Amino acid sequence: MPTRAEFLERIGREVRKTPGLFRASAAERPPRPQQAADTVRRQLAERRPQALERFRQEFERVAGVFHRAAGPAAVSGIIGEIAREKGARELVSWDPASLGLDLRSSLAGHGLSVIQAPARAPDAAFRRRHRDDAERAPIGVTGADFAVAETGTLVLTSGAGRPRSTSLLPATHVALFRAAHLLETLEQLGVMLEALHEDPARSMSGAMINFITGPSRTADIELTLTRGVHGPKEVHAIFVEEP
Amino acid sequence: MSDFALGPPFSTRVEAALKDTFLQEALGIATTKFIHLRRESFAGFAQGEALRDQARTIKEATLQQLDLHLGRLADNVERLGGHVHWADTADEARETVLRLCRDKGVRMVVKSKSMATEEIDLNEALEHAGVTPVETDLGEYIIQLAHEKPSHIIAPAIHKTKGQIAELISAVARAELAADPEVLTAAARIQLRQKFLEADMGISGANFAVAETGTVVLVTNEGNGRMVTSLPRIHVALMGIEKVIPSMTDLIVFLAILARSATGQKLSSYTTFVRGPRQPGEVDGPDEFHLILMDNGRSRQIAGTLREALYCLRCGACLNVCPVYRQIGGHAYGHTYPGPIGILLTAMLKGTESVKELAHASSLCGACKDVCPVRIDIPRMLVELREQLDREKIAPAGERAVFKALARVLGSPAAFRLSAAAARMLQRPFVRDGRLRRLPLLFGRWTATRDLPSVAAKTFSERWKELR
Repeated sequence: MPTRAEFLERIGREVRKTPGLFRASAAERPPRPQQAADTVRRQLAERRPQALERFRQEFERVAGVFHRAAGPAAVSGIIGEIAREKGARELVSWDPASLGLDLRSSLAGHGLSVIQAPARAPDAAFRRRHRDDAERAPIGVTGADFAVAETGTLVLTSGAGRPRSTSLLPATHVALFRAAHLLETLEQLGVMLEALHEDPARSMSGAMINFITGPSRTADIELTLTRGVHGPKEVHAIFVEEP
Repeated sequence: MSDFALGPPFSTRVEAALKDTFLQEALGIATTKFIHLRRESFAGFAQGEALRDQARTIKEATLQQLDLHLGRLADNVERLGGHVHWADTADEARETVLRLCRDKGVRMVVKSKSMATEEIDLNEALEHAGVTPVETDLGEYIIQLAHEKPSHIIAPAIHKTKGQIAELISAVARAELAADPEVLTAAARIQLRQKFLEADMGISGANFAVAETGTVVLVTNEGNGRMVTSLPRIHVALMGIEKVIPSMTDLIVFLAILARSATGQKLSSYTTFVRGPRQPGEVDGPDEFHLILMDNGRSRQIAGTLREALYCLRCGACLNVCPVYRQIGGHAYGHTYPGPIGILLTAMLKGTESVKELAHASSLCGACKDVCPVRIDIPRMLVELREQLDREKIAPAGERAVFKALARVLGSPAAFRLSAAAARMLQRPFVRDGRLRRLPLLFGRWTATRDLPSVAAKTFSERWKELR
């Protein structure tokens, strides 16, 4: 096997043999990503109602189910209704700090038991158990870091208290988001990603980011669209209005 | 290596494809649908054309500093706790995976769809080493059960009927399943979920790798990319060196056009960013992350004829519009990568000699260039490949002689006039309804599968003279 130095040295030699096909430079990045992100958020503030409406349309276009909760207290009613429809008795969720909301007692009122992800580093046995829980649970409840109107996309970063399996293993995924998470375009999301990575040690604790645009789908059998191949068959987004 | 072409020659494979009535119908429906979806998706997307130009520019800019970006990618992957491996050849890439399997006691591997692993025949190598590889993209799973190869870059099983698929999945389920895509998908979900949970290693490719952040990016619709990178204790990503891009801002440009070009979606269901192994405090994710950076013939084209083919995103749009692909399907090409771009990639990975027939399997109509998200000039490179085949005397002597004669005729007005007059006389016994349908001798091989318009009563230059 070549060493890194040998490998890159050879690539470098090939690169220097040619000036390339034309003058080219990569996309221009925001020089100060955090500030750029703040600017995007500020400019967006007045257009939020339109962005939310666009998100709803696009999310529904990719077969997502959109809900609106008139405040945090209304969330458990919506989740309770989804659970009733599925005949579900338990669910897995991100830890309350990551959700911005503790659902355990309010969902108990709907006959639902909630398995919450731990906020602190778990040991191997615990991790294994949590995976089994998520595998068994019919519903997974998460937050979202961003909701992108242009594409109807939910963006979730993983981390402590925010397992990736919550939005993956259960057949139904429910994501909560708030006005502050709304973005209009992929381009704005690009700015946010630059900002997240400016100082990842502070802004991101986990090893994964997922863009989720509708349920899991395939058209691999005679081009017939089928949902729920490996991931969730249904994705719900609950927009939680500020109290 | 992955020449399932070692069997019958190209012409025989083409003939078989043309006689396969299901394949003909399936290809027609699938490619037409993909073309339609793509067109609709770009029609309402004002910035689409500018983004395609920008994406092309980013790919070119990255190639101009490829060594620097690869080094940066490796640094950042390691900073996140991942391991980086370097492989000059397919052999070295395979050996790296096999060594990891041996060292870590891996018995079963789940794979998400990856053309790079197809390229190096990884499944065969794993099986040979006693490791069970399980393909988890539904199309790839079907193909694996049937012991076949993918026939389309993004729809590997379009050549199979639901009846055939029902038999394959029923055999695993040990139950008779209806030939209904819903039923079959549900059964495959159960079969593969178990594999995801049991596997020791997940192997993926990479649609992109972001140098600045050390992130490997996977684009999938089914979620198998997420499973493979999240559930097994080890994740290995294998990528060609041309997949690296500089920044997250660049990435967004590509994401905005990739799914539109492939399936007409604005984004695929899942775009998955892998930032090394499980980080402290996380409940799930692999213990180990390994990134294999594979050359396998790519770097010698950085300054070569096929440089532009290194821009390719593997979206499959050029397959759908290609009049040749639409007739013969992916298998007839006989290599991992089919279609117009496949000819170039095959030449890149295996040398010009390997495409001496395929280089001519194009009408040079340019439809591929029109739909390519990064505007790769495929026809130009196909012509250059043909020139090269001629120059290096790889093309058959007869073919070279005919083209040499043709060049002489077309290069001299007198010779052209003379030969047109001669052809008008000689063709007489063979013209029917203005077409040449069957020619004798050497020319018979041409007319065996196609016809020609007859030489006109007057050539253009003769008519032009009269008109003036």
